[in-house]
Amino acid sequence: MKKDFLKRVMATGLVAAMALSTAACGDSADEAADAPAADTTTDAPAATEAAASTEEASDAAATDDGSYEECTLTISWWGGDSRHEATLAAIEAFEAAYPGIHVEPTYAAWDGWEEKMATAFAAGTAQDVNQINWNWITQYDSDGTAFVNLNDYASVIDMSQIDSAYLDMCTASDGSQAALPVSMTGRIFYWDKTTFDEIGCEIPTTLEELKACGEAFAAYGDDYYPLALGEYDRMILMVYYLESVYGTDWVTDGQLNYTVDQVAEGLQFIQDLEDAHVIPSIATIAGDGAASLDQNQNWIDGHYAGIFEWDSSASKFSAAAEGREIIVGDYLTDLGDYQGGYAKVSMCWAIASSCQHPKEAALLVNFLMNNEEAATILGSERGVPVSQIALKTANDAGLLNGQVVEANGKVLAWVQNSLDPKFEDSQLKSSDGVYYDVMAGLSYGDYTVEEAAQTLVDGVTSVISQ
Amino acid sequence: MAKKSNTASVAVPKKKKSFKDICKENIGFFFILPWLIGFLVFKLYPMGASLFYSFTDYNLFKGMNVIGTLENYIDVFTTKKITTALGVTFKYAFITVPLKLVFALFIAYILNFKIKGVNFFRTAYYIPSILGGSVAIAVLWKAVFRDDGLLNGLLGIFGIEGPSWLSDPNYALFVICLLRVWQFGSAMIIFLAALKGVPTDLYEAASIDGAGKWRQFFSVTVPIITPVIFYNLVTQLCQAFQEFNGPYIITQGGPRNSTTLISLLIYNSAFKQYDMGMASAMAWVMFVILMVFTIIAFLSQKYWVFYSDEEG
Repeated sequence: MKKDFLKRVMATGLVAAMALSTAACGDSADEAADAPAADTTTDAPAATEAAASTEEASDAAATDDGSYEECTLTISWWGGDSRHEATLAAIEAFEAAYPGIHVEPTYAAWDGWEEKMATAFAAGTAQDVNQINWNWITQYDSDGTAFVNLNDYASVIDMSQIDSAYLDMCTASDGSQAALPVSMTGRIFYWDKTTFDEIGCEIPTTLEELKACGEAFAAYGDDYYPLALGEYDRMILMVYYLESVYGTDWVTDGQLNYTVDQVAEGLQFIQDLEDAHVIPSIATIAGDGAASLDQNQNWIDGHYAGIFEWDSSASKFSAAAEGREIIVGDYLTDLGDYQGGYAKVSMCWAIASSCQHPKEAALLVNFLMNNEEAATILGSERGVPVSQIALKTANDAGLLNGQVVEANGKVLAWVQNSLDPKFEDSQLKSSDGVYYDVMAGLSYGDYTVEEAAQTLVDGVTSVISQ
Repeated sequence: MAKKSNTASVAVPKKKKSFKDICKENIGFFFILPWLIGFLVFKLYPMGASLFYSFTDYNLFKGMNVIGTLENYIDVFTTKKITTALGVTFKYAFITVPLKLVFALFIAYILNFKIKGVNFFRTAYYIPSILGGSVAIAVLWKAVFRDDGLLNGLLGIFGIEGPSWLSDPNYALFVICLLRVWQFGSAMIIFLAALKGVPTDLYEAASIDGAGKWRQFFSVTVPIITPVIFYNLVTQLCQAFQEFNGPYIITQGGPRNSTTLISLLIYNSAFKQYDMGMASAMAWVMFVILMVFTIIAFLSQKYWVFYSDEEG
């Protein structure tokens, strides 16, 4: 049922993307651009009372006259320098379009960001508008009170620009629209073609070819590997493998769908890759002394010639490997009878329930999501936008990163499984969580495959059942 | 009853105190008021709150239920991850504190001589203490200790194949310990001040009696500065048990929890697992352990610390 649903979503996304890439200027898109909610032609900052309660907000939404209140809003996001610069420029454009609204930004790199924001949401001190991870909706908003219900501001936010299936992925437990999805993402292979050419290996499209590459790389140099995976990467690849073999989602409705034996099979698959010199051990990567793979010297100079990464991260990895040809790979076709793997909402915009000016915050969210000027400024800084008007604008202006678009297209065309947000629960995926423990423990030899499988099943079950 | 009435009738009416008088009488209190408010709000209240939370299952996003038993404390001593972290913390403290004290005293002793450019050296040795656990230091430390880093490169010149400092659980703690020992500047400055206070006539007398430099150091210098050694010992012990920055920025507790000190585990428990109840219990266990060590240190004073105002 869920699979069909996801397929429908993917199909819709693909059709939209294809339509945009072939049509010069579709009428519907033009109409969408003129949609009232995306309208930024507010005459003057007429000071009106912002709707404070949900009921008031609903009334305001029903009778919105384009007015807004002069106020100061706060906004937060994480990311790299290029995202910071683009978002700051978009905020400047928003302030110009809405005189009287001042926006104070807070931004930083990802490291430590989740801890900071978790504390802020728990204490009710989060910024008004927040870039959030998809799983934060279930994690921080278990009772539907952490975020403003954006449906209450439907006259301010043009939700028609976003596929309803994507919107449904961002609803809280009480059915409220807790956030708006910015883009969809999934994991896919990227290969350093320069290194593959140097060693004389074809870019792998099957597991067999990948293992053959492992042999060739080992023969070329002990410190050369066709693929590099950290602990969490291994976990995602294992799930992709199991879903390819069995076709079942990893977790559904708080239930792990794989037995200990099946999980052991998945872990053995990972361990076989390490034994076949396809991936370096966890100790080898730790010994590199890099904070992340894109900062790892062995990736930068091509000793690690492949990664399994989010499609939205492509530019970061390509930029790091300057002077080398990084190409988007294909999914391995011989893993099983199914097209395993999943796509998920990469990130969202949400308004904290503590926000004193939710209508004005909604204007900002709408601007960042659907405004044409913002779309040209932001491009694909947060992945390929799901907002049709933003996608069309950025695409027409040639602002989308070709590699990101290619990778995103391949992901959405391939994956058939859906992901439970709990998969990304920080209790599981943090460096202190069970994913790291199991994957590192197996690689270091602290666990047998059976022990690791049991530990993983126990750890996952305890978190998803909460 | 009548007596009371009489007394009242003859009593001199009390002069009403002016606001100025009240201020004058309580001036001491007003001076310490800022600190007192800070102590109550930022120390006593959080400590009291954490003690309460340690008896609950408080989760940042799932609410709180009072357990009312010692369950969290029992878990602290029976959960392998936590007992391992406690063990690593003890090892870390017992390696770094003596090393740091010896190193700081040694350098302070050298810098106490009248040598050329001594002020420059004092500043240079103090700089690592200022840098602390910054990101820049993390980058530097990783560059030095990674597999193909500076240290292994140097060892390679002598034909020695260096270990994998950052990824081998047997060596990673050493990297973290070294970071702490490297930051000996503040202890060194305190030792230096103490060394300046040692009367020179004692050295002259010792010299006349035939004592060499080493004998003078162990028989004159060390006994005189034992109060300062004691002070540094207690403060360094407290700091070592609370160390967080080193493992957080360099190894994130890895590999395989070999550098997960208890403070890092408390942080992970509170802000990654959102389990404030367990984190509070761990913090209180750590507090009690530190308290015990501090008491032991104070009790041991009478055996090895010499104060100048003591008789004999």
